[in-house]
Amino acid sequence: MLVSKIQMTVPDPEAEQGSLYHRYWEEMPCYLSVHDRDFRIIDGNRRFREDFGERLGQYCYKVYKGREEICPDCPVEATFADGRNHPSEQLLTTGDGRQIPVMVHTTPIFDDAGEVAAVMEMHTDIGEVKRLQSELQRSQERLAQLFEEVPCFITVQGPDRIIEHANRRFRETFGDPVGENCFKMYKHREEQCLVCPMQQTFDTGETREHEEVLFTKDGSKLNALCTTAPLRNAEGEVEAVIEMCFDITQIRELQTQLASIGLLVGSISHGIKGLLTGLDGGIYMVNSGFAKDKPERVEKGWEMVQRNVERIRSMVLDILYYAKDRELAVEDVDLAALVSEFRDGLEKKASDADTAFEMDIDADTGLLPGDPQAIRAMLLNLLENSLDACRMDKDKDDHTIRLGIRRDLKWMVIEVEDNGMGMDQETREKLFSLFFSSKGIKGTGLGLFISNKIVDKHGGSIGVDSAPGRGSRFEIRLPLVASPSIKSEDIIQ
Amino acid sequence: MSRVLIVEDDPDIVDYLSSFLGDEGYEVGSAQRCSTALAMMDSFGPDVVLIDALLPGKSGLEFLVTLRCNPTWSDLPLVVVTGNDQLLEDDCQSYLGAHEGVRGPDGVLGKPVDRATLLAVLRVLLNQAPSD
Repeated sequence: MLVSKIQMTVPDPEAEQGSLYHRYWEEMPCYLSVHDRDFRIIDGNRRFREDFGERLGQYCYKVYKGREEICPDCPVEATFADGRNHPSEQLLTTGDGRQIPVMVHTTPIFDDAGEVAAVMEMHTDIGEVKRLQSELQRSQERLAQLFEEVPCFITVQGPDRIIEHANRRFRETFGDPVGENCFKMYKHREEQCLVCPMQQTFDTGETREHEEVLFTKDGSKLNALCTTAPLRNAEGEVEAVIEMCFDITQIRELQTQLASIGLLVGSISHGIKGLLTGLDGGIYMVNSGFAKDKPERVEKGWEMVQRNVERIRSMVLDILYYAKDRELAVEDVDLAALVSEFRDGLEKKASDADTAFEMDIDADTGLLPGDPQAIRAMLLNLLENSLDACRMDKDKDDHTIRLGIRRDLKWMVIEVEDNGMGMDQETREKLFSLFFSSKGIKGTGLGLFISNKIVDKHGGSIGVDSAPGRGSRFEIRLPLVASPSIKSEDIIQ
Repeated sequence: MSRVLIVEDDPDIVDYLSSFLGDEGYEVGSAQRCSTALAMMDSFGPDVVLIDALLPGKSGLEFLVTLRCNPTWSDLPLVVVTGNDQLLEDDCQSYLGAHEGVRGPDGVLGKPVDRATLLAVLRVLLNQAPSD
């Protein structure tokens, strides 16, 4: 007994080491199992037993996967065949039915003859990795979706000003830009813009905000508010720049319209002041003319009153035309007949201003598709302008305004000509601008703007030739065949 | 009899103001352009000049600066007539700002011109006693 006792207490290094390794085997934080050539499990560690039960002697495919036959991609079989590790990803089903994604490694166990006697399989739970992977993928998909679907134009550009990515909205509006330069896609320019916010963000690493006028792939313009921001790599260096552009065209249009209304109000009150001056002056002349028995003065004053009443009339028409949603009412227009309606009135006005009024209308002008009321307003506007230009010109004694109408192939050509004071270059250039008037206090700057719009809406064109002191000649061309650009929509947009 | 030169491009207003100031005992001359007005400075010899702010070619303010810079007329009373007070104010600031030392207009009258105000301004500028 003593001996045996002593034997029991003498440390056996081999046995101790074996028990240490067995403890390691037992405590390994993964499933460890040993398989024989028949794919039976001949050993398993604690974790294996905990999750799969006491299954020694059973087939691994049955234990791990609930199968009745060997798996088609069995790594144990492969290791038996070549003695190597065959890593693979597998899905195991535990004893209580949980599915666990694992990374499998196989190791051959050799016998004394160097043959593979058994294969050890190590299953590492990669459930957490898988979960993180799929979460990463989901968030990547969400980001990609966000990038694609946000209601603004987004591009990512590299340091060489080449677009690397663009979102759907950008591609739809500007075309596929990948590999192109932003200035080419956005602005149809051949070279980099003078001030490039992308470049500034690359240089300073700071966000930039700027407003741009961009050109879409079909050539239309849009106003955009653009923000650039740096995209940094792990070292904090700016690797790329992202640019987001918001379409603010509608906001700008609204602002322009509001500004126009403000200008209109200013312009109208300015015009009214001018008209009041004329009326006030005319009334003074009439009254003082009667009081002092000066019939000539009465006559002059009365003309002033009439002229200013006429101006009020045309100003009110202009304002209504500008303010109202006016649709073109297109019909066949007989220009000669239309002119004859206002001929007498205009001749009277011309003779009051000591100006001759000549008409030169071809006999066979025929009919023209158009809105008679709009054309009449446009003609009167031009003719009255001509009359004003003659009245204001004191350098010449004889003044003439001339209205010519003729056909020229596909066009009806209308000429309104005068030998009045004429216009300098600046006036000519601003002629059709809204609220521009060369008549000082007497103009609202609406007349020619509206005339130009009317001609434009008819699909026609308007040209002007003028020099100071010589007079002016307007040539209006209206198509004889209804132009496709004739639209029944607002004349003033 | 004091002489008033009206520089105004609208013949109606020239007729009206000439008649009115004539009735009030002034001798009136008129010009529609600055060049004509400049030529009349010697021949007509005005005591006061009424200048329309918006004139073809040279603006009324340019004409004012021309007169102010000429020693013969630098002290002559000049009145600017305008339909747009704000515009005139802006123009005055930017234009006269560029001509340092040039005195602005002696009076500014808004359109439509109030006849009583016009007479009052002229009387003050010409050191005349009110007629009644």
